[in-house]
Amino acid sequence: MKILKLPKHRLDFFASVVQQFGEVHAPVEQDGKFVFRRLTRWSEARLDYPRTALPPKKYFLPPRETMFRYRENEGYVPSMDELNRRIILFGVHACDVYALNILDRVFSGEYDDPYYQTRRRNIAIIGIDCMPDDHCFCRSMRADFADHGFDLFLYGIGDYYQAMVGTALGDDMVLATGPLFEPMTQADVDEYKLRSSGKRRAFRMEVEIRDLPEIFEMEYQNETWKELGEKCLSCGSCSMVCPTCYCYDVADHVVLGARDGTRSRSWDSCLFSTHALVAGGENFRKDRSARIKFRYYHKQRGFVAQYGRPSCVGCGRCISACPVNIDISEVINQLRGVQDAVAK
Amino acid sequence: MTPPKKKILMVDDDPDYVEAVSSFLEANGYVVLKAHDGRDGLKLAKMEHPDLILMDVMMKERTEGFFTVQQMRRTAELEATPIFVLSSLYSQAPDFRIPPEAGWLAHDEFFSKPVNLMELLEKIRNCLAERAHEEARP
Repeated sequence: MKILKLPKHRLDFFASVVQQFGEVHAPVEQDGKFVFRRLTRWSEARLDYPRTALPPKKYFLPPRETMFRYRENEGYVPSMDELNRRIILFGVHACDVYALNILDRVFSGEYDDPYYQTRRRNIAIIGIDCMPDDHCFCRSMRADFADHGFDLFLYGIGDYYQAMVGTALGDDMVLATGPLFEPMTQADVDEYKLRSSGKRRAFRMEVEIRDLPEIFEMEYQNETWKELGEKCLSCGSCSMVCPTCYCYDVADHVVLGARDGTRSRSWDSCLFSTHALVAGGENFRKDRSARIKFRYYHKQRGFVAQYGRPSCVGCGRCISACPVNIDISEVINQLRGVQDAVAK
Repeated sequence: MTPPKKKILMVDDDPDYVEAVSSFLEANGYVVLKAHDGRDGLKLAKMEHPDLILMDVMMKERTEGFFTVQQMRRTAELEATPIFVLSSLYSQAPDFRIPPEAGWLAHDEFFSKPVNLMELLEKIRNCLAERAHEEARP
């Protein structure tokens, strides 16, 4: 992997130059929170953000999208216009890059999703390193470092960003900026190591995921699930903000009296009471406790069996978004029988 | 009948400079619209559809003009509007150069400030005449 460095005070020029590869979107502050949005000027970008309200998932699997329309004599016409927008997502954290790598596995392979995959091809990722806050446990989930899934990844160290080039497109971006990037020196490598160990020590939250699927297997009847069901409002906020939740609902919108319409999909959540409702009125997960238990089992156990790792990346969004303060790290630690796990 | 005057939008945060250049262009038969930052420039360009745009780079922030040019390029009704960049960028950031292959400015003229107004006028005339000629082609 090619690694170079960029003086921090030239980042605005770099951002100007990468505009030739697509619209630049970055985290900006909005009503006290941070959201990924298209920039109108570089100074709007807040690269020191803790986490965005919604993860970058919204670019690849939008909250609502029309997949195709159908008309008499025309058949199915896919909606591809929006898919071909070329976007540069500037300032994506490692956990969110990791989350996209997880979504890649869901939306490719056995069931290829052309909508997701086209967007993944057309949206470039420039990652940026971050320091953990009180809700981050990405290190526990092995997602504090991304080794692929980005075009460029920037580590802010001293007066420089160290830039890891992840793809040919990332290399093109570096080359297009002419002399802005400089080669790394041994002193830079040493600084990187210092920063890396500093970040490791900065985590205040820890969750042990080793043998967690086995513990889940054994604790299916644990009282924790009932207690969680009594607390959980089934609002679905945790799923909406989760960078790896991908459930969606498909609906046809048929024009009344005509023979045409559109088919769209929108985010769904396994916490919604209708998620497991099937024809005939049977609901496989009627109770809130069954639904929240399902969510935990799918992410921490089912996903491990299917893809070899949990689908949680430890971004902490579900903890921030939950209106009744359900904290995933506390739930896991309670199941493991570990008390006072948050304060390390 | 006299043809309508060509409209030029000038985006620059220095009001004195805008005044000087626009007076010169108005004296030479153009209508000049003025904006003092990128956002207003973009808004005005979308409303008025100028025939040509003169764009500063370093305004409220150092790369504002670049972002504004890019937004114009990605706006359907403005994507073909010629944009001339007038900037002191190279004297203020001498080690930065817009790479020649950079598509987002490749087809525009770049004038280093202070700009030779006669040269600017000639380039504007040539550019607009060429476009009129292209539009008149069957």
